[in-house]
Amino acid sequence: MSRRALVLAERSESGITDASYELLEAASQLAGGPEGVSAVLPVGDASDAEGLREVLPAAELLLVEGPALAAPTADGTAAAVLHAREASGAACVLLPHDPVGWDVAPLVAARLGTAAATAVSALFWRADGLVARRSAFLGKFVQEVLAPGLPAVATVERGAFPAREPGPAVSVRILPSPVGPDDLRSRLVEVRDSGTGGVDLTAADVVVAAGRGLGGPENLEIVRELARALGGVVGASRAVTDAGWLPHELQIGSSGATVSPKLYVACAISGAIQHLVGMRGSRFVVAINKDPDAPIFGAADVGIVGDALEVIPLVTEAVRSSG
Amino acid sequence: MNAVALVKQVPDRNSAFRPAGDWIDESSLGYGINDYDRYAVEAALALKEAGHAAETVAVTAGPADAGQVLRSCLAMGVDRGVHLITERAHLADPFFVARALAEAVSKLDAGVVIAGLLAEDSGHGQVGGLVAGLLGFSFASAATGMEFRDGRLEVHRELEGGRIAVVELRLPAVVAVQTGINTPRYASLRGIMASRRKPVERVELAAPTDGGGLRRVTLSKPERGASAEILPGSPQEAAAALVPRMRAGAGISFPGDAA
Ligand SMILES: Cc1cc2nc3c(=O)[nH]c(=O)nc-3n(C[C@H](O)[C@H](O)[C@H](O)COP(=O)(O)OP(=O)(O)OC[C@H]3O[C@@H](n4cnc5c(N)ncnc54)[C@H](O)[C@@H]3O)c2cc1C
Repeated sequence: MSRRALVLAERSESGITDASYELLEAASQLAGGPEGVSAVLPVGDASDAEGLREVLPAAELLLVEGPALAAPTADGTAAAVLHAREASGAACVLLPHDPVGWDVAPLVAARLGTAAATAVSALFWRADGLVARRSAFLGKFVQEVLAPGLPAVATVERGAFPAREPGPAVSVRILPSPVGPDDLRSRLVEVRDSGTGGVDLTAADVVVAAGRGLGGPENLEIVRELARALGGVVGASRAVTDAGWLPHELQIGSSGATVSPKLYVACAISGAIQHLVGMRGSRFVVAINKDPDAPIFGAADVGIVGDALEVIPLVTEAVRSSG
Repeated sequence: MNAVALVKQVPDRNSAFRPAGDWIDESSLGYGINDYDRYAVEAALALKEAGHAAETVAVTAGPADAGQVLRSCLAMGVDRGVHLITERAHLADPFFVARALAEAVSKLDAGVVIAGLLAEDSGHGQVGGLVAGLLGFSFASAATGMEFRDGRLEVHRELEGGRIAVVELRLPAVVAVQTGINTPRYASLRGIMASRRKPVERVELAAPTDGGGLRRVTLSKPERGASAEILPGSPQEAAAALVPRMRAGAGISFPGDAA
């Protein structure tokens, strides 16, 4: 089989997504150059084929067209990707590691008789198949997995590859959709704002964030005390807000608030990627965690390895007595 | 029509994990139910309580001692369990696992199958979707809400940037749930007592044959370009050393600082 790579491109209101351009770069590296890259875009109608061709730098752009694909659905997009995979003869299919990829990749993989390599940050071919470097144990470890069977499927993390510059595809092909509206088992009703947000975490100079390692809501007072001493506000990891220890508005991360305070203190937070993306813009990051291998230390400037229940009150005390 | 929860036994989150070969050293770990799957079980119980499922069934693939997670599901209120017995090492391939689960689910008169979005250990995040793909069921991942509406399942999916997608699924469907979709109940003493009399069907899986989906190659600690400076000394010393660094690094003064 060739080493051709097929990328699922996505459109938003503001055009082709950044994630698509990153996938195109990943595919180009994997295929040994852009001439080995195909891109698929499911569309309701392909009247804008030339416009789309101008901005998708692949050897071939496959527009899978039909009314069933006017609004994205898991099964509609999966059918379009499988159709384009066959038409292109690609040896691997790259999708974004995001809510689209989570929906579509397993449906595509199952039909190809395989599993997808997910949360991928690097990809290379070996004689016996495609090797993917991925994150495991919520970011604590890096794993390499081998997909021995071809075609292979992977979902690629945002930011793992630089984005390609928009540019024209060499050719464009329009393929009629293999599915009609009545074949679909799912329907997109609407996309809307979830209506969270509101508390002004984003304006604070100091955020002291509470993690699950604090053990329970009864231990949050020491975090509030530290926030008070530092003149800051309390934030939280998702584990803490999901458990109901603190309200969801205080959640920081990919599905919560993005903050960029001058000082961020992570208390008993492991540092999963979804948390890190919400606080990476902070000027100075302090991590307190009992596990010296916790990924949060990779995102912090200064760390204390120890029991947060013991360390936090000591820090509060030290702040107060240093003034 | 039944509500089926797919659950996985994973190592305790707070264990000290050490890479060993292509996986971690599992010789001295405690195990429990994957956190995401507690939400899946709660969602299945809620469907039955709302009259949308006749029975709730929990299915797991795992070694003999993974029966423990089925017991905890039964104690939460699930009616019965199916245990697909296989070696822990065979769980490495999500395709192998999904095929076994799909086969079991196909015999359970499932209306809604609920999986956790991902497992905390391997984090492949796709077993639910693979089962849907293999069985031709509808699928939605990252669910933060679900409700029956006119014989279909309306699912709220968490997108990025604080948006949600509302999708409507035909039944049978598989839904992979995000944490926080509900508040998982704890097992009551009565639930624990009752769980002892609930049936668990045990099925021995054949070892995976060649091919399959994914194979483990290596597992290692991530290389960290820049990592935090760890403050040495006793907790008191570290705390004292931290304060001037925070002040300088953040470039701010604190409320108690002399003006
Ligand atoms: C689609 C998706 C979106 C997500 N969105 C977000 C998001 O927006 N924000 C978010 O935060 N997460 C998000 N998550 C969840 C994320 O993957 C993690 O599960 C979560 O961040 C973990 O929270 P935590 O660090 O508090 O808990 P854990 O991962 O359980 O970490 C607890 C930490 O505390 C340490 N610890 C334990 N006891 C002590 C002690 N006594 N003293 C000191 N340290 C101690 C442990 O070593 C561990 O590192 C998302 C996940 C998914 C799949």
